Amino acid sequence: MAAGATHSIGIDIGGTFTDIVLLGPSGPIRTHKISSTADDFSRGIVTGVRELLDAAGLVPGAVAELVHATTVATNAILEQKGAPTALITTAGFRDVLEMRRLRIPVLYDLQYDKPAPLVPRRLRFEVRERMGPRGEIRIPLDEASVEAAAKQLQAAGVEAVAICLLHSYANPTHERRVADIVRRLVGDDLYITCSADILPEIREYERTSTAVVNSYVGPVVRRYLRSLANRLAQANLDAPIRIMQSNGGVMTAGSAGDKPACIVESGPAAGVIACARLARHLGHGNIISFDMGGTTAKAAIIENGEPAKTTEYEVGAGINLSSKLVKGGGYAIKLPFIDVSEIGAGGGSIVAVDSAGALKVGPRSAGAMPGPVCYDIGGTEPTFTDAMVALGYVNPDYLVGGTVRLNADKARRVLADRIARPLNLSLLDAAHGIYTIAAATMTRAVKAVSTYRGRDPRDFALVAFGGNGPVAGVEVARALKMKRVLVPPAPGVFSAVGLLFSDIEHEFLRTFFRRTDELRAQDVAAAFQQLEVEARRTLRREGHATEQIELRWLADLRYSGQAYELTVAMPRNGLDFDEMHRAFHGEHERTYGHRSDGDPVDLVNVKVLARVVRLAAQPYEGLAAEPAGPQQDEIRPRDAYFGAEHGTIATPLLRRRDLAAAPIQGPAIVEEYDATCVIPPGCLASLDRLGNINIELD
Amino acid sequence: MERAVDPITFEVIKNGLSSVADEMALIIMRSAYSPVVRDSMDYSTALCDRHGQIIAQGLTLAVQLGAFPDGMHYIMRDEAANARPGDIFIFNDPYGSGGQHLPDIYVIKPIFHEGRIEGYACTMAHHSDVGGIAPGSTAIHATDIHQEGLCIPLLKLYDAGQPNRSLFRIIEKNTRQPIQVLGDLKAQLAACATGERGYLDLLRRHGAEAMRPYLEELQDQAERMMRDFIRQIPDGAYEFVDYIDGVGDDPQTLRIQVKVTVAGDEIAIDLAGTSRQVAAAINCPIAMIHSAAYCAIRCITSPAIPNCEGYIRPIRVIAPEGTIVNPLPPAACAARGVMGYRVFDAIMGALAQVVPNRVIAAGEGGPTLFSIGGTQNGRQFVLTEVMVGTWGARAGKDGVEGISNPAANLSNQPVELIEAELPLEVVGYGLVADSGGAGKFRGGLAFHREFRVLCDDATCTTRADRRDHRPYGLAGGEPGGGSQNIINPGAQQTGLPTMPMRAIPLRHGDVFRHISAGGGGYGDPLERPPEAVLEDVRDEKVSLAAARERYGVVIDPKRLTVDREATAQRRQTMRKAAKPAPAQALQAAK
Repeated sequence: MAAGATHSIGIDIGGTFTDIVLLGPSGPIRTHKISSTADDFSRGIVTGVRELLDAAGLVPGAVAELVHATTVATNAILEQKGAPTALITTAGFRDVLEMRRLRIPVLYDLQYDKPAPLVPRRLRFEVRERMGPRGEIRIPLDEASVEAAAKQLQAAGVEAVAICLLHSYANPTHERRVADIVRRLVGDDLYITCSADILPEIREYERTSTAVVNSYVGPVVRRYLRSLANRLAQANLDAPIRIMQSNGGVMTAGSAGDKPACIVESGPAAGVIACARLARHLGHGNIISFDMGGTTAKAAIIENGEPAKTTEYEVGAGINLSSKLVKGGGYAIKLPFIDVSEIGAGGGSIVAVDSAGALKVGPRSAGAMPGPVCYDIGGTEPTFTDAMVALGYVNPDYLVGGTVRLNADKARRVLADRIARPLNLSLLDAAHGIYTIAAATMTRAVKAVSTYRGRDPRDFALVAFGGNGPVAGVEVARALKMKRVLVPPAPGVFSAVGLLFSDIEHEFLRTFFRRTDELRAQDVAAAFQQLEVEARRTLRREGHATEQIELRWLADLRYSGQAYELTVAMPRNGLDFDEMHRAFHGEHERTYGHRSDGDPVDLVNVKVLARVVRLAAQPYEGLAAEPAGPQQDEIRPRDAYFGAEHGTIATPLLRRRDLAAAPIQGPAIVEEYDATCVIPPGCLASLDRLGNINIELD
Repeated sequence: MERAVDPITFEVIKNGLSSVADEMALIIMRSAYSPVVRDSMDYSTALCDRHGQIIAQGLTLAVQLGAFPDGMHYIMRDEAANARPGDIFIFNDPYGSGGQHLPDIYVIKPIFHEGRIEGYACTMAHHSDVGGIAPGSTAIHATDIHQEGLCIPLLKLYDAGQPNRSLFRIIEKNTRQPIQVLGDLKAQLAACATGERGYLDLLRRHGAEAMRPYLEELQDQAERMMRDFIRQIPDGAYEFVDYIDGVGDDPQTLRIQVKVTVAGDEIAIDLAGTSRQVAAAINCPIAMIHSAAYCAIRCITSPAIPNCEGYIRPIRVIAPEGTIVNPLPPAACAARGVMGYRVFDAIMGALAQVVPNRVIAAGEGGPTLFSIGGTQNGRQFVLTEVMVGTWGARAGKDGVEGISNPAANLSNQPVELIEAELPLEVVGYGLVADSGGAGKFRGGLAFHREFRVLCDDATCTTRADRRDHRPYGLAGGEPGGGSQNIINPGAQQTGLPTMPMRAIPLRHGDVFRHISAGGGGYGDPLERPPEAVLEDVRDEKVSLAAARERYGVVIDPKRLTVDREATAQRRQTMRKAAKPAPAQALQAAK
C-alpha cells in the first residue's frame, strides 16, 4: 500500500445505477450515483471512481482499497450466460443434478417447467468409484473411466467442469485425483471445482448444485475481475480489490475468482452489513433491515449486532419468501448467506386488479424501462411510485435531486382508470390502498426472517433504506406493531456504505454427522483446532497478520432424525457436550417453540468462522453529511393523503438537517437527494447523534 | 361485492392468513424427526374459520387441501359445542373420524377468542410408524384395518391445556419409532400453537366480528371463480376408465370408472362402476378421494383461486359405498394413496375430451411406497420412501422428469443421508432412457432407484403400480414405460409383483430395484420435430433405435445429425402402416 493511501471506496452495482462511495480518515462520506454500463460494468466503475476522486480533490494513490459488490455472478445464471460446463459424478448418479429434490414452488399448475439444468445430460459423465459415508473406500477409483470422461469433455469443448462424487465431504481423495487427471489431460485453462473444496457437507444434490454453479460462473467472474483490475490499473488505481460475499464478509479478488458461488448475493448482503454496523454504533444490536428498491423489498434480521445467516439459498428462483418453504424454482447454493428474504414489491412494481377483483402490487415490475407512468418514458401500467406521487408523498419535481421530473397528472389518470374505477374507490383511497397492500405484502418478507424463526419483530427496530424504504418503512413497521423506524443518512446508497464497513470473513467446515453420544469431545475439539489452522493459513495467504484474525466456533446440531440443523456458537476454550446440548435445546425452543431434552442429538457440522475486522475505528458520524437539498425558501407544505382516518393534510416538507434531537410530530415528509422519508400522523421524528432519522410509532 | 367488504382490507387479511399457514408448515418441515415428513413433506397445515371451513393452507401437498374437510366435519358435529380453551384434538381413524389411513395423524386445535371458538389450527403428518404387521405401517398385505396398527378415533390429546398422558403412553408403546412419532407430534403441536398465535393477532387487529364478512367473502370469491371457470366448459358427461394392476402374485385388474358431468356452473364426479373393495391395503377411504377429485379440478383451473374451501362447493363427488374408493370398515387402507392418484388420472382422462389444452397425460401414477426395516446394533431401523418422479406430456409441451406428481409436492431423500444413517447403500438413482411415452410432445422419463442391504436381516414391503396398465398418452401419444420391482437385478434376478402381498425378506448384499412408470406422450410421435428427437438422443434420453422405431427419425449414429431424407421416408412408411387414429381414446391404454 502506498504511503498516503488513506481512503476506501465502495462500489455497488445495480441494474440501473452504480453507487460509489468514498470514505477517508475524517470528514464526510462522499457519494456518487452513475448509470450502470451493462455492456461492461468495469467501464462505468472506472469513470465513476475517477469523477468522485476529482470532486474530492484526491489522486488515485490516495485510495487504499476498493470494496465491490457485483451482480456479475448472478446475472450469468439469470441470463444463462455462464461457461459451457461439464459434471463428473459417481457411476449411478448422473442425474442427481437434474432430478433435484423434486419439489416445485407452485401447486396446481400443470404448465410448470423446471429450470433447465446448468449442465445438460450429455455433459454429465460418470466415473467408477465409491466412497462410504465414513470416508471408507468401497470401490477404488477406476482411472480409465476418468480418462474417458476427460476426453469426452475435452471433445465437447467445455470451459469448466464440476466434480462431485458421493460422500466426498468425508473423503475428498477421489475427487482430487479426478481433478488431477482431468487437468493433466485437458490443461490448465479448464476451470475446475471439486465439490469438497467448495462445500464439504453431506447431501449430494445441494453439494453438486453448488459445485456446478461455481464452475458455471467461474470463468465469467474471473474474466470480469481481471478486466476490472486492468482498467483500474490503467487509471493508476492499483489498490487491492475486495469482493463482498453473500455472507457479508469480503474476500480478495483472487479468492472470489476461485469461489464465485460465494458472491451471488453480494449487493443485498452489503445493505445488511451497513445495518449491522449501525446497530453496533447505536449500542442496541437488534435490528431488522428493510431495503426497498425499484423491483423488490428485502429484509434481514440482526441480533446482538450479528446478521442471521442461512445456507438454504436458490439463485434465479424468482422472488419468493426467503425460499424456505417454497423450493425448487432456482439453482441451489448451500453456502452461508445472510438470510435475506425478498419479495417482489418495489417502486416499479406494477399495480393491477386481478381476475378475482383483488388489488395486487407486484411481483411484475416496470423496471427502469419503461418505468412508472409518471416517469413519462413509455410506462402505461400504474406502479407503486405512481401511487406515491398521487398521495403527495413523492415530490414530482425533486427525484434524484431534481434531475428527474415526474408527470403527476399522468400518474393520477392511470390510477383512476385502472384501479380506482374498477374497485369503486376514490383516487386517493385507491392510492392509499396500494400503499397499504404493498406494506402488507412486504411484511411477509419481514416475518420470514423474524416470526418464522421464533423472533418477535416488536423486539427490533426497523432500519429503512434503499430508494423506497423510507417511504414505506413506517407503514410496514405499523403492520407488525414495531415501535421504531430508523432512516440512516444517504439511504439511497446505504448498501454501498456497508461495503466500507465489511469485515474479511471466511468459513471453514467439517461434517461429522454422528450422534453426540457416539463422539468424544476431544475429537470434536481437535476438528475445531484443525479448522483454525486452515483458517489462519488462508487469511495469512490473503495478507493478514495472525493477530488481526478473530475466530469463532459454531456447531450445527439437530435432534437425531431431523433434517434441518440449528447453529449454536461454542466457547473456544474446551469443548463441553453438556453445554453444547443446553445451548441447542434452548435455541430449538426459541426457534420452533418446543424442545426434547432427553432425545439424542446429532452433531452435523463444526464450523470455524474467521474474521479480520477492518476500519473498526472508523467514525460512523461521517455519514451525516449530505448533498444539498432544495433551497429553504422553495419549500412549502404539500397536500398529502394519509387514509380515511386522517384525510388530506398540508404536510411540512423538511430536510434532514431541519430535524433535531427534540422530536417533531408527524405528519412530515423529509426530502433528500436520493430518497423520500414519510412520517405519518401520530409518529414522532427526531435526529439522533449519528444523523439517523429516528421515528417513534404511536 | 354484496357485503360491506373493503377490497384493501380483504387483501390484507387474505395475505395474513396464508402467511400464518405457511409459517405452520415451515415449523413442521424444519423440526420434524422422520424423513417422510421432513424430506418427503408428506404433511399438511391449514387454518379453518369458526365453521370449520378451510380459509388458508400451507404450501405442502396439493392433494391434501381436501383432506381436512372430512375431519373437520366430525369435529364440528361431535366436539365443537363442548370444546374448552386449551383442548387439542387428535385422530387417525379413517372410518368415522375423517382420517385417511393410520399413519396420517391429525392434530387440530380450536382457537378461542374472547371465550368463543373463532377458528381452528389444523395439521396432519404422515408418521413413520404406527405399528401393525410391517415396519412403516403401510404394508399392502394387511387384509383388514386391525392389522395396520394403532387406530385413534377423534379424541383429546390435550384437555383444557392438560396433556392426556394415557394417550401419549399408548401411542409411544404402539410404534416401532417412539422418538420419531413423539417428536413429530411435538412439531405438530408447535405448529398449532403458531397458527393460534398468528390467527389471534389477526383477530385482535381487525376485530373478530369485523373479520367475519371477510372470511365469508374469501370463501365466496373462491366459489365464484370456480363457477366462472366451470361455466366455460361445455356441458356434457365425460367418461373414462383407468386401471390398477391389482394385488399379489396373480393380480386381478381393478377398475376406476369415472363420469364427469358438467352442468352449468357445477361439476359432478361419479365413480359408479369402480371395483368393489379388496382384501388388501389399497382401499381408499373417502377423504382422500374427495381430495384427489378437488385437486384434479383445481389443476385445470387457475392457480390464482384462493386456497380455501369455497372452491369445492360447486364440485360433487359420488362414490358408491363398498368400492375401493369408498370402502366400508374394516377394509385395510394403509397403502391407499395409489387409488387417490388414479382417480386424479381418470378425471384428467375424462376432461381431456373437453379441455384437451388444460390437462396432462398420465404421469408415473403417484408415489411408489417402499419400506424397509431391520435391526442394526440392537436398534430397530425403518426407512420409508415415497418415490415420485415424472409428468406426462401437455398439449404444446413435453412432460417433466425429475418432479413430484402434480397431486403431491413430495421431495426425495438425499442418498448420502440414507447411507449415513442406515445400513443401506443406494446403488443408483436416475432417469431411464426410452421410458417416456412417445408423442409430438414426449412424456417425462421414468426414474430408477436401487437399494443394497448392508445388515444381516431386513424385510421390505412395497406398493408400486402401472406395470400392466401403463400411464396413458393423449391425442395419439403413446403410453409411458411400465414400472418394475426387481430383487438382485442381473442374470439371477427375481421380479416382484407391483403389489406383493407379503413382506419380502432380504439378506446382506441383496438389492431391491424400483423402476417407475414413465409419463404418457401427447400427440402423434411422427409429428415431433426431428431436431427435438435429436436433442433427446444427444442427451441419451431417447436411444437411436427408439428414435427410428417410435418417432420415425433416422439419425446418423457417428455424426449425430438427422438424416432428413431417410426420416421423411421412414415417417411416410410408418404413417401408411398405422391404423386410422381413433377419434378419442375413452379408456386408458392397456
